[in-house]
Amino acid sequence: MATAEIEVPREELPSLADANRDISRPISTPYKRYWLLLGICAALIAAAGVAWTIQIRDGMGRTGINNPVNWGVYIVTFVFWVGIAHSGTLISAVLYLVRSGWRTTINRTAEAMTIFAVMTAGLFPLIHLGRVWYFYYLVPYPSTRLLWPNFRSPLVWDMFAIGTYFTISLVFWYLGLIPDLAVLRDKFTGIKKKLYGAFSLGWTGSVRDWAHYRRLYLYLAGIATPLVLSVHSVVSWDFAMGVVPGWHSTIFAPYFVAGAIFSGIAMVITITIPLRWAFGLEKYITKYHFDNMSKLLLFTSLIVGYAYGMEYFLAWFSADPIEIESFRWRGTGFYAGPFWIMVFCNVVVPMSLWFRRTRNSLKALFVISIFVNIGMWYERFVIIVTSLAHEFDPSAWQVYTPSLTELTIMVGSFAWFFFWFLLFAKTLPVISIAEVKEHLAHEHEHGGH
Amino acid sequence: MSGILAQFDTLGATKTAIERLRAEGHVDLDVYSPFPAQELEEALGIVSSPVRRWALIGGITGFATAVSLTGLTAIAYPLVTQGKPILSWPAYFVIMFEMTILFTGLFGFLGVLHHARKPGRLSAQYRTNFSVDGYGVYVPAAAGAEQSGVESLVRDAGAVEVEVGV
Repeated sequence: MATAEIEVPREELPSLADANRDISRPISTPYKRYWLLLGICAALIAAAGVAWTIQIRDGMGRTGINNPVNWGVYIVTFVFWVGIAHSGTLISAVLYLVRSGWRTTINRTAEAMTIFAVMTAGLFPLIHLGRVWYFYYLVPYPSTRLLWPNFRSPLVWDMFAIGTYFTISLVFWYLGLIPDLAVLRDKFTGIKKKLYGAFSLGWTGSVRDWAHYRRLYLYLAGIATPLVLSVHSVVSWDFAMGVVPGWHSTIFAPYFVAGAIFSGIAMVITITIPLRWAFGLEKYITKYHFDNMSKLLLFTSLIVGYAYGMEYFLAWFSADPIEIESFRWRGTGFYAGPFWIMVFCNVVVPMSLWFRRTRNSLKALFVISIFVNIGMWYERFVIIVTSLAHEFDPSAWQVYTPSLTELTIMVGSFAWFFFWFLLFAKTLPVISIAEVKEHLAHEHEHGGH
Repeated sequence: MSGILAQFDTLGATKTAIERLRAEGHVDLDVYSPFPAQELEEALGIVSSPVRRWALIGGITGFATAVSLTGLTAIAYPLVTQGKPILSWPAYFVIMFEMTILFTGLFGFLGVLHHARKPGRLSAQYRTNFSVDGYGVYVPAAAGAEQSGVESLVRDAGAVEVEVGV
């Protein structure tokens, strides 16, 4: 990578020791502001916990879910969080394989986001289940009733896909963390040294160990790439395998994957802009990184916009009156509001990223990323709810509005995600120290390339 | 252990030292680096890692597990759903794909732990600046005239610190 790309003249490049110091600096006693944020998150999580408890006590009547809209805000939010989880592995694995150097300073944060987003997403099928204690029916184990899960069901595929995605993302993240945990072990004393020492597994940076590490890192990147494409494809099949008009479509898998990457990149931008400012990491996460992320955002926005158009084209081209009615109603019926919010946020707003000035303005980028987050939540709402509300039989058409219980839990899920993220930001290096050093050492010794 | 630990502050000097030591017949070196450096692996003559075998065996195990899990449970509990055959392999392929990937990753990770002998204690040659910006080359059990030869060689290559009898 050329030095110009990170916008720092060579003599001002941080040294390897600077990288250790700068990146591990935030791991210290937090300010009051931090505790306040953590407290707000904890309070919102508690509120969601109360709402869930009431729902378990009283039953699913506490939600707005009923026939024909059996999948509401819970499944919408589930798909939203699975989507957010995508950019982490995309940035870590796909950009690693194609040797895109700009991933280096954002991959750790993106991977952490992936893990916390899957942890958030994973709660929703349980919440949606109503009788949450029956979740083990999905687990293949030799029960005394000789019952086995139905492996033809997309819901079982989904459990395997998301379980694998979570596990592999966690291994990938942890493997990358081991050398950095060794840095923290050597920096701290006392109980912190013991804790970081235990999790760094006695890492010494022996070149033989690095050889094993690098080999596995490459393999994990290799297998995580098809995995990241498969996870949201499988989630999309939860819908596309059903004959519901608006769902039963072959474009669903690529459409969902593009949407997932789009929303995931938006969330990375939403998080890294304040993080970079709060932790003083301007030297490491530069405008160059944001410029690249915005280009990726713009590109995936175009794919998503194309998919929206294609859905309408296919509905018309199929000449199926039910499909045509479903899509007519989607844009003009009871849920026209969410539909046009979706189009505005996901297709219109990101078009401003064609301009370099917008891409270089962090304020503008932050605002756009928030729009995309909102738009992508609405996209899932539009796909799930409008399709179910307006199926084949006009006498069965019915609209759905979320209840307070559902909305409290949905808000709580954001708090849950940020709660974990805040804990991560104060206890682990938010940038991969080893990878930054690898880059800097080559810059120092060879002057780039 | 009696050996020589030489510390370097650049990648280039470390690489030179390794190459010269290997040319002198010291092949059993322990080298430490603060980041993954392919140059040092090449200098040490490491071309691949047995982790690849672990990953391959993991992938095959995962695939076979998924084939048996989906196939045998469908035979054990033969309930026709969605009008599909009892052995609906295209539908089961998703499970096979996921489990192949899951086992590849987990076996690979176990492979790294096994071959890097982790978790373990820090070796006596380890110095904390290897996690900051220092590189270390450890030559085991050099004695007598050989010892002074190694010492001058690493100093000549640019060692910033040399410890004898580590």
